[in-house]
Amino acid sequence: MTTAGFRRGLVAALPFLLSNGAAGLVMGLTYKGLGLGAAHAILFSLLVYSATAQAITLSMWASPLPIVAMVVACIATNSRYLLMGAHLRQLFGGLAPRKMLPSLFLLADASWLMTSADADRNGPDAGYLLGSSIPMAVGWVGGTALAYAAPLAANGPLRLAAALLPTMFIATLLPSQWKNVRSPWPWLISAVAALLVARFGDPSWSMLIGGGCGTLVSMMEPSDA
Amino acid sequence: MHDLQVLDLEVFGVICTLGVTCYAMRAGGYVLAASMRDDGIAARFLRLAPGNLFIAFIVGGCLSGGPAGLVGTVVALVTMAITAREWAALGAGFGAALAASAIGW
Repeated sequence: MTTAGFRRGLVAALPFLLSNGAAGLVMGLTYKGLGLGAAHAILFSLLVYSATAQAITLSMWASPLPIVAMVVACIATNSRYLLMGAHLRQLFGGLAPRKMLPSLFLLADASWLMTSADADRNGPDAGYLLGSSIPMAVGWVGGTALAYAAPLAANGPLRLAAALLPTMFIATLLPSQWKNVRSPWPWLISAVAALLVARFGDPSWSMLIGGGCGTLVSMMEPSDA
Repeated sequence: MHDLQVLDLEVFGVICTLGVTCYAMRAGGYVLAASMRDDGIAARFLRLAPGNLFIAFIVGGCLSGGPAGLVGTVVALVTMAITAREWAALGAGFGAALAASAIGW
């Protein structure tokens, strides 16, 4: 875990201040519409810190609160983090758990994807994971708070930025990954499987199932692709 | 007033429970993977997973973003491949998505 890695991750993830800020703002405005107080809304974004889990539990909001169903929904939607965490153990297994476990509080899809790509380029550095996680968390929680502090509305460009920037950012990591690819088949299978799951199933599972199918094809090849 | 306090405590309890659940998912994989062999099948699966997950993530994002999202992502990807500059790729991608959205895509 180095300071240089932390700084590199922090700078690389700065665009997420904008996209996560916009998404957090939209989430905050929705909480506001539901009648949730500012303190609860901010605490929700800070402790749960998962757009998928928050959106799903929001749709389940009722009186009395269906806590068991909400917990099951959180486990189902966030099960992908088990895979990400296991992968991070491969990268940072040499570090003491007391150093890694607090950083995992801020683990997000994008920070994991960026850390994986950076590990390929510069070698594993847990500082990068922490550095890249911070702008994302500040954007998300700050955006939620802004919904209560300022008379803002979720307009077109704001919604567009919130929805598209994470995907575009991960797309910019693809060229660096391409050099490791021996065959186009795993990526093709990943894309088709993700498309089918997102179109005909539950979109929140498309990354895990699509990526899993492609990885199984990668494993059938003689060398790591 | 008493009902309001009960409601506040109930909401607070739910938020904390969901927060603990989400953190358990984040840390669980890291903790459980300690018992995994480096040269095993699971370890190889995890080593090969990132690129494939990138693709699946992008496909899901493009689908939910509609044609404007697809245009923006393709433009960002092509710009990155040509320039190797993230700021240029994101600027071009977001500009293309905004333009596509403005013309009704």
